[in-house]
Amino acid sequence: MKVDVDMSICLLHGQCVIAAPAVFSFDDAGGLVWLSDVDEGLRGDVEAAADACPEQAIVIG
Amino acid sequence: MTQADLTTPDAPYLDVADPTFSIRSAEVMAARDASWYARTPYGLAALRYDDVQKLLRHPKLRQGSYRWPAHSGVTGGIFAQWWESMLLSQEGDTHARLRRMANPAFSPKLITDLRPKFQALANRLIDQFAAKGECDFIADFTEPYATGVICDLLGLPFEKWRELADIAGEMGLALGVTFKQDLPIVEAATARLLAYAEELVAARRAEPSDDFIGTLVKANADKSQLSDQELLDMIVLAIFGGIDTTRNQIGLAMAMFIEHPEQWALLADQPDLAKAAVEEVMRVRPTVTWVTREATEDFTYNDLPIAAGTTVHLFSQAACSDPAVFANPDFDITADRKPHFGFGGGAHHCLGHFIARGDMTEALKLLAQRLRNPRFNGTVEWLPDSGNTGAISMPIAFDPS
Repeated sequence: MKVDVDMSICLLHGQCVIAAPAVFSFDDAGGLVWLSDVDEGLRGDVEAAADACPEQAIVIG
Repeated sequence: MTQADLTTPDAPYLDVADPTFSIRSAEVMAARDASWYARTPYGLAALRYDDVQKLLRHPKLRQGSYRWPAHSGVTGGIFAQWWESMLLSQEGDTHARLRRMANPAFSPKLITDLRPKFQALANRLIDQFAAKGECDFIADFTEPYATGVICDLLGLPFEKWRELADIAGEMGLALGVTFKQDLPIVEAATARLLAYAEELVAARRAEPSDDFIGTLVKANADKSQLSDQELLDMIVLAIFGGIDTTRNQIGLAMAMFIEHPEQWALLADQPDLAKAAVEEVMRVRPTVTWVTREATEDFTYNDLPIAAGTTVHLFSQAACSDPAVFANPDFDITADRKPHFGFGGGAHHCLGHFIARGDMTEALKLLAQRLRNPRFNGTVEWLPDSGNTGAISMPIAFDPS
């Protein structure tokens, strides 16, 4: 499963980091990093993250 | 290091404890022009857009009101217990777990199903006063609407709205300066709301459903993830957090549009602008005018040392008219804007924002079409212009369409 974040609308709330910590995290500088190719076993978590994103910035491919 | 040591004496001072203090005042705008922060009787206030944006999600700051009952001299009882245990007062792993459990119940997918109910509710309320050409916009629309939305969410009949509004109002006394004197009322209201939540949960356990409560009850199947008490606390938070905020925000929207009649006419002609109208109202006239954070450890921000325990007020409303970001900050529902902070931000971003955005969009759309040329029709009674603000009563007149 492909995962992308539209950084033009992401506001770094970090709700995806809460919903799917195996996929999304913050780096030391506070920037969002994520796995762009994710195991299907994590689909539930990624979908929960996409749902929870206040800006709806997560794109699941 | 004490809080006083943290601030340079030449930073502006804002007395946020003064009952007449207004976050919209010229004093605050001047402070924002002079400095990114101000000193206050309780810690700092961040005044500019970029700083509020960064500090809302700063890893060294936690949500700041978790000790509110203790600060008000209330150390026991079920309200304090609820307040200190509920989602908003938690941080770290516990907060993340509770938020993960709550998220499915607040999903944008559930809101799609509620939209027709919001429209039916708004029309039903407008029907009751439209022909008269006048109403008290708070008593006749925003209060029953905001509470009716919660009834829809909980699967309760609309007729329950008055009872729920009264309980939420009595529980809301806990947020006021007279909390300690009002404690018996607050405790009784909290007990009633918890009992209500228990009834709702029992009904969904007997008859499972995919609605809001049903979704939370499913999350409670694994009690290590969401305990029985946490389930009830979450339902109480949804009711308590959803009623006054929405009631106040729609009232503030009407006040803005009455002051900008050309914008109301535009919205009536182009209902698709309603979504943007909600955002623009929340930028210039949010009910939550600031949010509070507290430093969890010593850190430095913008060369300013901030000690652990320092309170940091984030002046959302002042930030959202910052001329560095909003070249023309005048109310304009067609303008392309940077995001406002009316729902907070970061880990504690408002959980109910999809519902609030959805219900306010539908309300404004229908109101603009059915209430033409609205104007004040008497004296508007306001809450103080800081903290969580809004109108208590708002007599208006209009031309029925």
